[in-house]
Amino acid sequence: MLPFFGFLMQAVLGKKSISGNIGLATIILSVCVSFFAVFLPVWNGAPLTERMHWFTVGGKPFYVGVMLNNLTVLMQLIVGIIALPVHIYSRAYMRNDPGIHRYWMFLSFFCFAMLGLTISTSLLQLYVFWELVGFASYLLIGFWFTKESAVQANKKAFIINRIGDIGFLIGIALVYTHCGTVDLGELFGPQGVFLPAVNADGSWLTLAGLAFFLGAMAKSAQFPLHVWLPDAMEGPTSVSSLIHAATMVAAGVFLLCTIFPLFNETVLLTIAIIGCITALSAAIFALGQYDIKKILAFSTISQLGFMMVGVGIGSWDTAMFHLATHAFFKCLLFLAAGAVIHEMAHFKATHQLDIDPQDLRNMGGLRRYLPTTFVCMTIASLALAGFPLTTGYLSKDSIVVQAFEWGFHLGGIYLLIPTTLAAVSLLTAFYIGRLLFKTFFGKFKFAEKLQKGELHDAPIAMTGPMIFLAACCLFPACSFHPFDYHQSWLLGEFHVKTAFAAVAEMHSAVPLVLTLGALAAWGVGWRWYVAKRYPLSKNNRWVRFATRQGYFNEFYQLLFVKGTEQLSRGVYAFDHYVVDGLTRTFSAATRRLSVAAHWFDRHMVDGLVNLIAGTTYYVGHLVRHVQNGQLQSYLGFALTVVVLGILYLIIK
Amino acid sequence: MITLTHFLLVSACIFCIGLYAVLAKRNAIMILVGIELMINAAILNFVAFSRYDKTNYGGQIFALFAIVLAAAAVAVGLAIILNVYRQFKTINPQNIHELKD
Amino acid sequence: MEQFLFYAFAAMAILSALLLVSIRNTARALFLLFIVLFAMAGLYLFALADFVAITQILVYVGGVLILLIFAFMLSNKELLADLQSTSQRFMSLPNWQSMSLSLAFLAVLVYSFIAWTKEAPEWMARAQADGSILSPTDDNIQTLGLKFMTQYILPFEIISVFLMMALIGAAHLSRREGSR
Repeated sequence: MLPFFGFLMQAVLGKKSISGNIGLATIILSVCVSFFAVFLPVWNGAPLTERMHWFTVGGKPFYVGVMLNNLTVLMQLIVGIIALPVHIYSRAYMRNDPGIHRYWMFLSFFCFAMLGLTISTSLLQLYVFWELVGFASYLLIGFWFTKESAVQANKKAFIINRIGDIGFLIGIALVYTHCGTVDLGELFGPQGVFLPAVNADGSWLTLAGLAFFLGAMAKSAQFPLHVWLPDAMEGPTSVSSLIHAATMVAAGVFLLCTIFPLFNETVLLTIAIIGCITALSAAIFALGQYDIKKILAFSTISQLGFMMVGVGIGSWDTAMFHLATHAFFKCLLFLAAGAVIHEMAHFKATHQLDIDPQDLRNMGGLRRYLPTTFVCMTIASLALAGFPLTTGYLSKDSIVVQAFEWGFHLGGIYLLIPTTLAAVSLLTAFYIGRLLFKTFFGKFKFAEKLQKGELHDAPIAMTGPMIFLAACCLFPACSFHPFDYHQSWLLGEFHVKTAFAAVAEMHSAVPLVLTLGALAAWGVGWRWYVAKRYPLSKNNRWVRFATRQGYFNEFYQLLFVKGTEQLSRGVYAFDHYVVDGLTRTFSAATRRLSVAAHWFDRHMVDGLVNLIAGTTYYVGHLVRHVQNGQLQSYLGFALTVVVLGILYLIIK
Repeated sequence: MITLTHFLLVSACIFCIGLYAVLAKRNAIMILVGIELMINAAILNFVAFSRYDKTNYGGQIFALFAIVLAAAAVAVGLAIILNVYRQFKTINPQNIHELKD
Repeated sequence: MEQFLFYAFAAMAILSALLLVSIRNTARALFLLFIVLFAMAGLYLFALADFVAITQILVYVGGVLILLIFAFMLSNKELLADLQSTSQRFMSLPNWQSMSLSLAFLAVLVYSFIAWTKEAPEWMARAQADGSILSPTDDNIQTLGLKFMTQYILPFEIISVFLMMALIGAAHLSRREGSR
């Protein structure tokens, strides 16, 4: 709750809060509260739930509250611990930015939303915070809204997130219809209503599971809804590090782990397959990117694919484990990249060069100028690649090992997934090595322009958090045994029963293979990028394919954007010709009808009246002569009548 | 043999001729003449029937009265025609139509 | 013989009347009226009403007709001129409506007379049976005088007063207004 107050206060203070102290204070307090008051008591203990009545709909009450169990307190702690360094880093990184008070406002808002998401007690509340997190991400991606690309990017992110949110909502609706409650405790707790509802009628289960997965897909950037994440790099790097590396994208995985009992075989398999495809495609795309941040974005997508596979094969504890470790080293990678970009931007401004400060091809040999950054980034890269003595080694290999065990358990074609994961690990090592080598090794491209002492390391406000995070990347953070993940204290508390048995050989074979593979990949990378023996030509078709992200964006553009435009044009034409045409026809017909009616009225109706008048006039004209003052005619008429009278009498 | 019918027929003819004169003539004096003819026809009628009335002699008495009345009518009629002429400067009854509405 | 005379008188009366209404010239028409009146008097004789016939000649011909002729002859020149200028032709065209009306009346009268006299009314039959119909040898004048003085005295007096009134009135009407 504390960050929310921070958000409100900064919104009120406006321009005065450029120093960001309030945001910083709130986040520090949050971390302390979450660690001491929340994490320690609840970890390994009994879950705590606190509820408050929110509203009632037609006799069914809905609650808002706080739920604390192992999963939620772990997430909460991760969010707090990642947010803290980012806040400190941002103070230095975002200095002199004109919109900095807005930045602190949005950052606090995001932290509030994320923390709220992690401790939600019901699906409805979780959905509310889910939406808020998406909204905060939209605000932060489009932070520099004067840039056209930033505006497009945040629009894209929000729309794709929306698609996922529809899935989430459908899932909630299905669960509510069949189980009668959206409260997480009631659903999945020991006395949960979920299982009986499933046993009663489980036909809706697949649909609900897929719907929830759709939500997670959009939030965690799975294939094919991953296109928003590379474009989200338009935001500030510190934002990217917090949101798109560690926390928001992990919300999807967190959701899946929370509602894990919901999934049946079909859904789990779907999750695993999609996660696998995501991991593979993102790794391939990362190979061809030239922008530092885009490489890191694809790396995030790839690692999220790993986590999804972890969920899909049934061991969501390894997925959570990987999430925790990934948060640290990815955040560090982003912060270090931010430091590099910061320096390159300075360089560009000083020399007035027309270069992109984020482009890899403009860098090289920065090891000499930014040593601390170099060391931190190396540690993070080692963690990402999965070298021993790092947390990344433990978590990533845990997933791959579990995948192989699962594959062996099911046999046959299912072995494709673990194999792919292994290949992706090698690719991961390759691309992160590429990043490292191209940035820090070799010769600086603009060395001739360089003045003495111009490129220097980042200030302490930036390097401090980086060092802290680097320390967390090493193995003591999660386990006291460097090689065996089962002994990790983090992992051990999630008592997850998997359907497959552990295969002991895998535990030793797989990590060995992966480590050797990673070393080999780095060796190849060294040869290619540092020693400059690059075998492929610059315009190789595969490289271009990877650079252009598999032409995915173009495909989406064609399909959805152009399709919608065509549809709107078609509908407009329909409306213009058919609907308006119909109206115009009716009006023309009515006009004709009115003309006919007028003719009829004039000639028939008026004619009839005129006829009667004319007849009367004519008759009167005739009879007028009765009274003409002529004596003899008077006499004549009178006698005529007399004759007629007499004739009548005679005839009678 | 002169029966009653002969007299009546002659009377009818004279009467109708007189009627025609009254209706069709454009001269006021001729209208008077027509009236005279009609009265004469009526008198003839009276006289024809008086043959069968020996006790009262009603027909002949009334015939005499009718002759006197006819004479008086002619006198007054002429006086009126004179005055009408003085007023309208014409004796064509078709030109004297002030009686109409 | 008697019948022939009767038809002669009747024809003379009717023809003169017809001519009377056809002629345009008023003066000549008045003279034809003279003939008509004489013929009528003759017809009265055939109805055994001798006194009425004589009275007719005396009063009608000698009074009314003379009055008409004098009135016509002694009137203003303009009146005469107006009367004489009506038409050049001798005969006037009959007015069709009046003609048809007259013929209708004639037809009606003739029909009714013939239909009526087919069966004589009873008073006539009774009179004939009683023998109280007039005969040629009756003394009409004496009886008429007696009737005038006894039975019909009142109408006689009234008629005379009436006649006086009419004459005074006519004289007054036709007096030229001296004080105008």
